[in-house]
Amino acid sequence: MSRRERFGGALAVAPAGAAIALLFAGAVLGAVEASVLPIPGEGLSQATLDAWRNVFRDPALGDAIRFSVQTTLMATLISAALAVPAALALRDHGPAVRSIFSAPVPVPYLVISAVATLWLAGGGLLERALGFLPFDVVRDQAGLGIALVYVYHEVPFLTLLILASLGTELSQREEAAAVLGASWRQRLAWVVWPVIRLPMLVGTLGVGAFVFGSFEVPLTVGPTYPETLSTLADDKLSGSAFDGRAQAAALLVLVTAITVAITFALVWLGMRRTRRA
Amino acid sequence: MREPSRALRAAVAAAVVLYVLPLVALVVRAFADEWRAPNLVPQQFGLRGVDALFSTTTRAGEALVQSLSVALLTTAIAVPIAWTAARAIGERRLRRPIPVFVLIALPILVPGYATGIGLSEWFVRLDLADTRTGLVLAHLTVVLPYVVLVLAAGFGPKVSELEEMGRSAGLAPWQRLGWVTLPAVRAQLAVACVIGFLVSWGQYGLSLAVGAGEPTLPGVLLPFLRRDQQIAAAVCLVYLAPAAVALLLAARASRSPL
Repeated sequence: MSRRERFGGALAVAPAGAAIALLFAGAVLGAVEASVLPIPGEGLSQATLDAWRNVFRDPALGDAIRFSVQTTLMATLISAALAVPAALALRDHGPAVRSIFSAPVPVPYLVISAVATLWLAGGGLLERALGFLPFDVVRDQAGLGIALVYVYHEVPFLTLLILASLGTELSQREEAAAVLGASWRQRLAWVVWPVIRLPMLVGTLGVGAFVFGSFEVPLTVGPTYPETLSTLADDKLSGSAFDGRAQAAALLVLVTAITVAITFALVWLGMRRTRRA
Repeated sequence: MREPSRALRAAVAAAVVLYVLPLVALVVRAFADEWRAPNLVPQQFGLRGVDALFSTTTRAGEALVQSLSVALLTTAIAVPIAWTAARAIGERRLRRPIPVFVLIALPILVPGYATGIGLSEWFVRLDLADTRTGLVLAHLTVVLPYVVLVLAAGFGPKVSELEEMGRSAGLAPWQRLGWVTLPAVRAQLAVACVIGFLVSWGQYGLSLAVGAGEPTLPGVLLPFLRRDQQIAAAVCLVYLAPAAVALLLAARASRSPL
């Protein structure tokens, strides 16, 4: 690649890159500023870390972190575990079957939450049909309802990602492995898994980040306590504390920092693995 | 005529149970004025939910127009800004693509509510808080990355070759764009527009943080999910409709790519 082509590439990315960087960096800086200035519009000389101290002293923070991590792990692991067999089952089928399967992908989360409430809440349609509710899903303390909404939405999404990575070449390699006497487990571990690993990792990271910062889904199907970090921030914002807005901003800066740290860690791991390979 | 395969029939059956049945219940709920437990069938049908959509107190109509205009404007702004970046990424013209990908991915991964709270600090100073312009700018933070990533998949050596042929045939740059490039990337462009629209359409936290005074459809829907299931179901149907229409349009547009 010539120097001119490289420069041209950087120049081509500039409009979108600058817009994203300006808006995103502005958002992060704005949130940091809001977290240290309890009264908006005051000069930086009035900056204080009181809101941060209050956030870290609040016992709800530990519960919110635990609950956010718990729902994230549940939703992400279940989605990934279901997406792999779904992709393997769908790979020999045409666009019609794949389209039907991927129908929930464009559906907004709030609509799925509404459907979950209608069917699975106490007094909902499932309880009316069965005469009893086998388990609490909506507003349950374990966050099953939150996880279920995300699983419903993200299994088709992850399946599509995995399907995109499964080409005809893979089937030929699998056939070759079968001819050589490899069992289906061995073919899955040695032939299929290395191919789907990267899209799975990328997709799972995206899903995990989405669930970790989830806001509207826990507001509709989550319990009142414990809360996720984002809904705890919303509570602080609408609460009566003097520095409520600063505390909310501090919590959201914390969520942002965790998400950014995980993203960078995974990128670093991916780059290290590529270099080794 | 060919018989549908067993897999297709199984997929249709699974879709009916998982997707159609829940949706049918949502439609029934929207038109059930009275549906008390333990009855499986509503006691009384009516139009209370539909009436609420047109009532000024719920602001659902206003929210629908607002959400539509914000999603359309955001997508219309995002596509031209994303075009050159998507092209450079698709044609692999970047020396170090990873930092660019990380920059693009971060706004998608960070919660919209967090981004919104930060942006609202600036928007208050710039008189953009609680305005449509503020909402469009805020939505651009998350829509633009999606549009860049999706559109990038449309570009590559094949499109470059076609453009080169157009250049050799003596086409002017605008003729190459209209007659060669746009038809060649039409399918991916349609998908990018739909995804951009849907991402903006589904934003709740971001809209709440920067434009709580400006009603959007998810903002109107959420309180009703807790208070009134019939009105919530009616709003849900409206909330689903443009997404379905956008998908159908994209499917039609992408049917005959070059």
